[in-house]
Amino acid sequence: MSWSGLLRCTAMEENGRTVISDCYYEGALKLTRPIYLHPSQPTIYLIHVGGGYVDGDRYKTEIMLQERAHLIATTQSATKIYKIVKMPVQQYTSFYLDDQSVLEFFPDPVIAYEKAQFYQETTVYMKESSTFIYGDIITPGWSESGELFRYDWIRSKLKIYYEGNLMLFDHLYLEPSKGITGILQMEGYTHFGSLFVISPFITKHILQKFEWMATRFPASAHLGWSTPMMPGLIVRVLAHETHVIETIFQMIHQFIREECFQEEPIFLRKY
Amino acid sequence: MPLLQLCDSNFPSGAFSHSFGFETYISNEKINNYETFRDALCVYIQTQLTYTDGLACRLTYDFLEEKSKEDVWRLNEMLAALCLARETREGTRMIGERMWKICREIYRFDIWNDDKKKRGYMHPALVFAIFCYHLEIPKDTTVLSYLYTSVQALVQNAVRGIPLGQTDGQRLLVSVQPHLIKAVQKIHTLTEEELGAVAPGLEIAQMQHEQLSVRLFMS
Repeated sequence: MSWSGLLRCTAMEENGRTVISDCYYEGALKLTRPIYLHPSQPTIYLIHVGGGYVDGDRYKTEIMLQERAHLIATTQSATKIYKIVKMPVQQYTSFYLDDQSVLEFFPDPVIAYEKAQFYQETTVYMKESSTFIYGDIITPGWSESGELFRYDWIRSKLKIYYEGNLMLFDHLYLEPSKGITGILQMEGYTHFGSLFVISPFITKHILQKFEWMATRFPASAHLGWSTPMMPGLIVRVLAHETHVIETIFQMIHQFIREECFQEEPIFLRKY
Repeated sequence: MPLLQLCDSNFPSGAFSHSFGFETYISNEKINNYETFRDALCVYIQTQLTYTDGLACRLTYDFLEEKSKEDVWRLNEMLAALCLARETREGTRMIGERMWKICREIYRFDIWNDDKKKRGYMHPALVFAIFCYHLEIPKDTTVLSYLYTSVQALVQNAVRGIPLGQTDGQRLLVSVQPHLIKAVQKIHTLTEEELGAVAPGLEIAQMQHEQLSVRLFMS
């Protein structure tokens, strides 16, 4: 079966600056020219040219970071999934992070429309010395009637292979018709965000500083954080609005850039 | 009788030291009486116990029947990776390891020789399935018994933590029985692809437990 959209891209480090050395795309997926919001760390915008994902669409994205490459990736707009008649929409994304590379990936939120079915699988193959930062937001979707949670289901998996071993596996499945709004589930909130930072730079000291910063998170969010089996940090956020989760993600993103890499914050301006 | 012994609340697995996030709900008073606890427990059965613990128990039993032990260890690795809240991951590991050690002392099965394949983690659902498979306890009975022991431990903890009366605790164990039977039927229809689907709020509660200032339980 062919892909509705396929994108492959490699980032490499050249004289202290990361460049996109190789890039291929076909179908509905495209990539902008890298933008240097930072002098040596390019930002790439993943684009869907069709405006949204429809029945049976299958997408594949593969991003490779060679040794010491530092790349920031985002999308140009929200991932919109329309009504499904026959086949769920499937999106497969793989990241390969070689030694000392850094990937910061903050896609726009997922918006599933009425009767949408969405399967998303993100796989990361990383080295102990590399850093993977990923923030993902799932909204309650959109329907003509204005009612929330009208999609059929969303299944989202994240698998992180760390030096070849599966060390982190996140599996989210939301099927609104089964009742997902109550206790233990969405707890009365509508938006769900997950942020993963896997990095040798996340030390006990950094985690302590993170806890101090966490006291400044917006009070309207319900959140928790913990540490995985490898050095890193996982944050889960429930909220009533996308921008509350985005604010928290930006605070953490900025914190990690400053504390772990002594870098200025990056603002992913889009609109 | 071996099954009664394994499911006995006196079996020293350490399960009674863990609330797996429930203490957070008790502490913030979202769970504060019989009804609120029962409702949360039912969701716990339909989510965590069905898609993670129960399904893992059934899959292990399937793999042992198919003589594919490697899949048992692959599943164990997935279960460790699936648990994102540190305390809950440590909790299940400690319970799993203790069950493994005790069972190894009291029964002789070849699989105990695979000690190294555990790679520092052992999920209790796997030990439970290994134990039952080798003693020829039927699969559905195995899964149902495992779910029952998990719920029994949480009920005992709620009796202490909320607190509830002992009789209320026993009444709860009766009222959840139809839910457990339904869960076993559901688990029967699931595939490995569905393993580990998380309940977002529960996981946040498990994470928040790390920061609770007053705690009766380790998770």
